[in-house]
Amino acid sequence: MENKVLIAIDLSENSLKAVDYVGDMMVHHPSVTITLLNVVREPSPDVMPDEVEREAYVRKMREETRRHMEEASRRLVSRGIHEKNIHIKIQVCSKVVSIAELVLKEQKEGQYQTVVVGRRGVSKREEFLFGSISKKIVGEAKDCAVWVVE
Amino acid sequence: MTEAEIREKVDLYSRFPHRGKLKIWTNTTEFMDIQAGDVISLEEHHFLVRGEEVEGRFGLDGEPKFWVKKVIDLSDGSSKILKLVFYESFLMQIGPVNIRCFRSPRKEARILGKTRDDPYFMKGFDVQDPAGNTVRILERIQGARYYDFIQNFSMDHETYFHEHFPGIFKRLIDCFEAMLRLHQMEEVHGDIRNDHILIDRKNNLFTWIDFDYTYEWAENPFGVDLFGLGNILLFTVGMGFHNLPDLKACAPPGMQPTSCMEPEDLSLFFKHRIINLQKLFPYIPDSLNHVLMHFSCGTDVFYESTEELLRDLKACEVQVPS
Repeated sequence: MENKVLIAIDLSENSLKAVDYVGDMMVHHPSVTITLLNVVREPSPDVMPDEVEREAYVRKMREETRRHMEEASRRLVSRGIHEKNIHIKIQVCSKVVSIAELVLKEQKEGQYQTVVVGRRGVSKREEFLFGSISKKIVGEAKDCAVWVVE
Repeated sequence: MTEAEIREKVDLYSRFPHRGKLKIWTNTTEFMDIQAGDVISLEEHHFLVRGEEVEGRFGLDGEPKFWVKKVIDLSDGSSKILKLVFYESFLMQIGPVNIRCFRSPRKEARILGKTRDDPYFMKGFDVQDPAGNTVRILERIQGARYYDFIQNFSMDHETYFHEHFPGIFKRLIDCFEAMLRLHQMEEVHGDIRNDHILIDRKNNLFTWIDFDYTYEWAENPFGVDLFGLGNILLFTVGMGFHNLPDLKACAPPGMQPTSCMEPEDLSLFFKHRIINLQKLFPYIPDSLNHVLMHFSCGTDVFYESTEELLRDLKACEVQVPS
């Protein structure tokens, strides 16, 4: 049976730790396919009114993200995951969207059995103001396992 | 309107007749150069500049806001406020947390449109100047700032709580419901503070003003607004804020420090601010104090929506003396 794992990663070092962990855990599962997902959000015109500036920002972020995803992919390969079983997905969103909601949507559509997120360790105050992606995913995920890697 | 007609209107509505050359601005980009006595002309609207609004924010009080002009509308002589375009991005501090904040004329103009028929929001409209600047033309609200309204109660807390608070609480719930309507339109206020509510003399409503701040995150888009609502609620229930040093020095009249404060009784964001007001004023009902405690260090459950907060507040109404 195919075992599908979705790793939601941002550009932090912590998310690479989640990648390493998945690599170590899944190396003995030849049927595993791992999708690395990252969401690039186009800034809202409210905060960046200039369209040219917004487009340049998205291009830069996309490039940075691609490099980061390739690094993540290399780490998986170095741990014994076959390259053909690794997929990279970069979503560019023009609306302000919840990352947690996008990850859960991807999980549902792609029928992943496992969702993996890194935890940034936000403080109680930060959680009050900004929310927590990992908490939201843990709280709202259905029909899958969620791994939160610290 | 020709220049001669504008001059005629200026002489009509200004206390002092204008002497010399009249400076008429159509492009408002260089707002620092637009001064009292100048005229701003936007499409068919013409405004005589009287000066600048001043900052009311604590620590910046009295600083002129050069992008916010006090004006006279030359069509009818009424007082208006013109908000010109000023982009800035800065770190706003909420306790120890820094938040990247942006000033967005576009967002404020959009909210003015969306809340056009809602009496709980300041009224106005926007006009683009020839340089593409989104200028907001605002009605001036005559009335006290909510901050001053509460601070000016000069009685003991128990009298305030039993005689005045119930009526204020009902009106505050109505005002918070307006904020819910805004959130339901997927907009945030961005800068909810005691002095961003004015009590409109015309209808006595607690009216929201100044919504040009914005942020860029999506997991909990209303978190900062909810923090602001919590602060206003605390300020209202307590008839002002109460801080630990107040207790240590001399308690204000009506304050009954019946027990020691624990760390979980204090604000999640301001280390000396007391949230557990029931320890100071034991007649505050449990239900209301329970709502306040969601903003304390002791809480593990936060409000994620104004709807949740309002549901709890409405449940308090039965316990609030009337």
